Amino acid sequence: MFRIEIDRELCSGFASCVTDAPEIFELDSSGTAALRVAETGDERVLAAAAGCPMGAITVYDGESGDRVA
Amino acid sequence: MRHDPTFWILARASGLTAYVLLALSVLAGIVVKSRPLGNRVRQPAVVDIHRTLAALGLGALVIHATSLTLDKTVRMPPQALFVPGLSPYRPYWVSIGVLTAELMVIVYASFSLRRRIGFKNWRRLHWFTYALFAGGTVHGLMSGTDSRRAWALAIYLGAIAAVAAATTWRFLDPLTKGEENVPNRDRSRAV
Repeated sequence: MFRIEIDRELCSGFASCVTDAPEIFELDSSGTAALRVAETGDERVLAAAAGCPMGAITVYDGESGDRVA
Repeated sequence: MRHDPTFWILARASGLTAYVLLALSVLAGIVVKSRPLGNRVRQPAVVDIHRTLAALGLGALVIHATSLTLDKTVRMPPQALFVPGLSPYRPYWVSIGVLTAELMVIVYASFSLRRRIGFKNWRRLHWFTYALFAGGTVHGLMSGTDSRRAWALAIYLGAIAAVAAATTWRFLDPLTKGEENVPNRDRSRAV
């Protein structure tokens, strides 16, 4: 499982994460990325983190707590 | 007394430099959105490159404008740099350059104001980048005294071809089209 954090101060609403993993990310009414789920086993979250233009998404291994993306 | 061509050469060189930097910044902006290299390139680094190129382009623009007012080849009163239509030299085409420069400053500054003006408005404003590129191209071709030289034409045509190809890629690329999966209420297209 992966634990996801979004730096909402850094997010600029590019919506690339929503494109990469629409089941995990959404944009709220202000256009800022928000999580649909706090944890997931879906590896697309890694691509979403790598593809975020602002580097606003951090992914941790749910068990070890190590940062994986 | 012989005319010192330093500022004239500087004005021409910095004008073309600003145009090339603008074109490269537009290309980097398209790369941010369409990700042609996938995740092999760190996206925050591309955003930094995009912004740095734009800042350097604005710097070249300041040199271009300042050296034009200091040079004697073309009479360019300082106020003509800010108000369209005041340039005695090719007033129509220089006006397009003035408006393009002012729009460039607004679009660049909007990054810092994106939270205040709202992300959607920031993105809408960023669509003007295409108008900026078109304005810069027209201004350079019609005002520039080097425009008819083969090397200058090659620069303009190369920039136009690169931006046109990247824009086509952007709108045809499946990744960008994947935004169609974003619900309408959430969709916020980036430029």
